[in-house]
This record gives sequence, structure tokens and C-alpha cells, in this order.
Amino acid sequence: MSDMQFGLMIRGQFPQEEDMRKRFDEMVEQVRLIDKLGFASLTKGMHYSSSPMQVFNQMVFHSRMAAETKNLRHNFGIILLALHKPLEIAEQLASLDVMTNGRVIFGAALGYREVELAAFGVKRKEIVRRLTENVDAIKRLWTEDSVSMDGTFFELLDASCSVKPIQRPHPPVWIGANADPAIERAARIGDCWYVNPHNRVDTIRNQIDVYKRALEKLDKPFPTEFPGRRECFVAASREEAIRLCKPYLAKKYEVYHAWGQDKVMPEGDNNFDVDFDDLIKDRFFLGGPDEVAEQIIKYSHETGINHHVFSVQWPGMPQSLAMETIQLLAEEVFPKVREGM
Amino acid sequence: MADIQLGLMTRGQFPQGDDMQLRFEEMFEQIRLADKLGFSCITKGMHYSSWPLQDIQMVPYLSRVMAETKKMRLNMGIVLLALHKPLDYAELVATMDVLSGGRIIFGAALGYREVELKAFGVQKKEIVRRFTENIEAIKRLWTEDKVTMKGSFFELDEASCSIKPLQKPRPPIWIGANADPAIERAAQIGDCWYVNPHSRNETLYRQLEVYKRALDAADRPFPKEFPMRKEVFVAETREKAIELAKPAIGLKYKVYHSWGQDTVMPEGDNNLDLDWEELLDDRFVLGSPAEVCEQLLDLHETLGVNHIIASVQGAGMPQSQVLEALYMLGEEVLPNLKNA
Repeated sequence: MSDMQFGLMIRGQFPQEEDMRKRFDEMVEQVRLIDKLGFASLTKGMHYSSSPMQVFNQMVFHSRMAAETKNLRHNFGIILLALHKPLEIAEQLASLDVMTNGRVIFGAALGYREVELAAFGVKRKEIVRRLTENVDAIKRLWTEDSVSMDGTFFELLDASCSVKPIQRPHPPVWIGANADPAIERAARIGDCWYVNPHNRVDTIRNQIDVYKRALEKLDKPFPTEFPGRRECFVAASREEAIRLCKPYLAKKYEVYHAWGQDKVMPEGDNNFDVDFDDLIKDRFFLGGPDEVAEQIIKYSHETGINHHVFSVQWPGMPQSLAMETIQLLAEEVFPKVREGM
Repeated sequence: MADIQLGLMTRGQFPQGDDMQLRFEEMFEQIRLADKLGFSCITKGMHYSSWPLQDIQMVPYLSRVMAETKKMRLNMGIVLLALHKPLDYAELVATMDVLSGGRIIFGAALGYREVELKAFGVQKKEIVRRFTENIEAIKRLWTEDKVTMKGSFFELDEASCSIKPLQKPRPPIWIGANADPAIERAAQIGDCWYVNPHSRNETLYRQLEVYKRALDAADRPFPKEFPMRKEVFVAETREKAIELAKPAIGLKYKVYHSWGQDTVMPEGDNNLDLDWEELLDDRFVLGSPAEVCEQLLDLHETLGVNHIIASVQGAGMPQSQVLEALYMLGEEVLPNLKNA
């Protein structure tokens, strides 16, 4: 089992006062490095109205970054799909799939922040229907020449996707999900569940059972590509790793807590407002190279995840630390994981 | 004495069956050449459900090609803004502005095709309100830290633009407009009217007066930058330019007519389903480099436009002809537009 894939998530979130052009140049440096080091994918998330953080728009980021990559897949991880219209997303992603010779991954999830829902004129009670209908419409637009579909919030009337994606039948559809009903939905509408980064291992193991039962009920096989995102930081030793990353990682989870991310997570594992030691326990890959390799191997065995997407940088963390972690991962951790699997 | 800027529109629309990856490589080649030759901007339009043509979406396209350009501005010409939400486009455009070093032009217009309106859940009677409110919201998101605004189809509740544009106070807003009321609206809410490429010159002379009166009424000065899009067909001789234009114009305008573009144009000049000879009648810039230059200078004198965006690739026109046209425009026409 050697076809384990590793990807990098670039959050692209920076404190208000920072020069975003400089930060972008640094991200280009990271992306060129991971493309060269054999990472499988580059992931960028989507958030609007991100104050107190600055954030690059996902579609623009990936499209511009495509000029820097030869091998990396571009993972839209994830698109807040309930906010958007299917024809827009179908055509934008297909355009980028053409421009990257078939390297786009379509990640999608519900979204939960009130400020985003209101700004897009979306009511909370509508979001599940919007997501489900949008995924259905996008798949049809990618695979049929002319689509007629009467959605609740859109109507396709002999509509066509102006350009078809290169990947056939269509780019992979990864569905992000935190709560059990969302995981069952991922089994139904997605090519795979894109395992969220925030839960403890024990919670995820329970959720994988939910996912497997849902797949069985639908008579669908377990996906050949099973991706998960995880926070990750590597340094010479565990003490060193914690010392270096704690100020930034702890801060990030304070912001998540303020946004209400933890409230949509399962009972018993839905509070980020805890001490750092409690927060990191079974939640992040953190430590020296050997230790992190063991954590990844154990986690992969326990979950079946074979495409790991790591975030290694949190707002405020300097470029040098991110570059060092990327190097350590590629040179000292990934070979050990591949060997150990 | 100011320069007339000459920009390039790459339509990016190609017949079904064309290899879009190949076409995209060709557009790259055009863009790198245009950047080298001193063209002012690269322009891409926006359409959805473009059957029977294939098309690349504007936002990923301009975001990707910005890496191939050093000097050219990137003109979103135009965003069908009534279809979209202001927070989305405020952040998209601001990100593009930052990543391009402040080279974005934000063009916007209403949109008119039924298939697009329906696909975005928009009713025809709402489009003016959606458009106007979106422009206001985007301007505020770009220039204020927190925005609270109750629109008819969105609500900004202490919303912030996740990244602020590099250009201060914000990128220029060009408003595309065909009909008189839309031109008046452009005077009220835009930095300039982006003159449409489809009307006859006589129509435009009249509409220029509509625009000026609306500017006066709004107590706003005539814009420093006054842009216009034109189909430009250049070859060694006028005869060759006409040959070049024939197949391209024929196909493209049949498609526009089937989409209903002409039904939103002014009375007496609203039928694009004509023979191509009639379409030539002062609707296009066409001829030898010298003739093209003369026609561009004439547009500058009679209409006051000082930024002309040329579409040179008609649907189906081969790459070699496009590159030849770009060389002629860059080497024989552009130098004569300086200090016009």
C-alpha cells in the first residue's frame, strides 16, 4: 500500500496589518517547493468576511497558483456550496480543470457562519437543500450536453456548461462534513467524505462507522481515494514542535471557537475552548519526525485515510517555520510513513 | 495631447469540438505578445451556458493569465453583475487586484439572457435593482472596514471584505451599457461608461449626448478614461481585411442574435441578423493598418474615447492570422496613437 498521497493546505489567512503581496510571494515559494518535493495536492479553503483575518479568494488563488504548478492537484477544499449557484461553480471549475490539464478536485460543504449566509441571501433552513441540488446540478452540467432541472433556487433551462472538464466523467467530488447527518449525505452525494480536521481520533472512528453504514445502505463501495485534513507540525523534537507552533495554532482555534465551528461538531467533542494540551490530544499531528510518522501510520490504519491534507501554518507564523516543516515532512516523515504502511 | 490606449479582448469563445487546451495555449501566446507590444489591457467577457460556442470563465482565466503579463491591466469586461452577490465579487476582484499588483479593471453590466437569469434564480424585473445595489455594496466593501447594508437580495451585517484592493480608493468601475437608461445609470454609478461594440457610430453620437446630459444632471465631470470596445480587422489591404472579417463576423453575430443581444439595443439599430456587408457599415474598425489607425483616431475625435479595446479574433479565426493582426496593430498602429 504505497500510493499514500500527501497534500498541503494553504490557509492564506493573515492578520489585518500584514502586506498580502509579500505573503503571496511566500505562498508561491511554498507551492513551488511542494510541487517539486512530490506532494500530491494543494488545498485552499473558502471564507468570506474573514475579519480580523485577511484571506485570499479561493478561485483566484488557485487559478493564479496554477501558473506555478506542474504536478499538484488543485483542491477546492472546500467550497461553501450552499452560498453559490451551480452554473457558476460548474463553469469556473471546468475552466480551471482545462487550464491545469485535469488537476482540479471539487470539495464542497454547507457553511455555517451567519454573516456569510446573510450576505448571500441564504436562509439557514435552506442550506441542505441548496447543497444537495447544487451538487446534483454541477455533476449533470459536467456530464450532459444540455441540462434542464428545476431547482428550488435556480432553474436550468436547456443550460450547458460552457466548457467541459478534462477529467472524465468529472473532477472528484469531495464532501466536507462534521456532523453525522452531513456524513451520511456525503456518502449519498459525494465521491468521498473529506474527513474534517477538527475532531479527535475517537470521534472520527465513530464517524467512519456512520459513513460505512451509509455507504452499505446505498450499496456503494468504500471510496478508493479517502481524504482527510489534519493540522500538522514537525520539528526536531516534540517539545520544540510545541514551543514553535503553539502561539499560532492556539490562536487559530480561538478564532474557530469565536466563529462557532466547534458547535457544529458531534456531542462530546464540540469544544475548542480548552487548554492547549487538551486541544492537541489526538487532534493534531505534532512532534518530531519519527513521532509524526508513527501518528500518521496509526491514524491511517485506524481510519483508512490515504490522502492526507496537512495545514502547517497558522495566522502569524513566519514563513521560515512553514518551509522547515514542509522540508521535514517530505524528507523525513513521508518516506517513513510509506515504509511503515 | 494624450495617448490613446489600445487594449486586447480575447473572447475565448470557440466552436464545439475545438480542443480548448490547445486554444488556451494559443491565447497565452497572444497575451504574451500583446504585453510585449505595448497593449494596455487584456479583456475577457463573461457568459454562461454559451452553447453553441465553448467559453472559458472570466475569473479563473484572468487570474491565470495575470502570471503571463507584466504591464497589461486585466479588464473584467464585463461581469454580469445582476447574477451575482456583492461580497463574492468584492473579494474576488480585490484578490485579483492584489495579486496583479493593482492592475484590475472592474467592468459590470446587467446581463440579459433568459438562460443565465434563470440559472442564477434572478427575475428580469429585478436586474436593475440587483445591479445598482451590488455596485453600491461593492464600493462600500472595498473602502469601509465594516459594512452594514440591507439590500433586497442580500444583507451585509457588519461584513468585511476579506482582502482590500491594492488600488486606492478602489479599482476603476466601468459600466457596460447599450440602452439609453443604462447609459444614464452608468453616468450615475460608474467611473465611466464602457461603450459597447455593437452599435453604429451614428447611434453612439446620439448616445454620447445622453451620457453627457446624465453626467451634468449628476454633477459629475466627464471621465478622464473613456473606454470603448470594437471589433478590429486589420490586414495588408482593405480587401484582405474584409476577407478576414467575413466568416468571423457571420458566425459570431448569428450567435448574438440567437442570444437576443440586439433586443436590448436602441430602436432602429437593433437587428443583428443582417448580411455581413450591412454589418460592416461603420460598426467595425476594418482595413489596412493606416486605415485602422485613421478610424481609431476618428473615434477618438468624434466620441472622445481614449481607450479602445480591440477584439481581433472572430470565432473560427486561426491563430496565425490573430498573431499577424497583433503585430500590425502593435507595430504599425500603436505608435501613431501616442500623443494623439
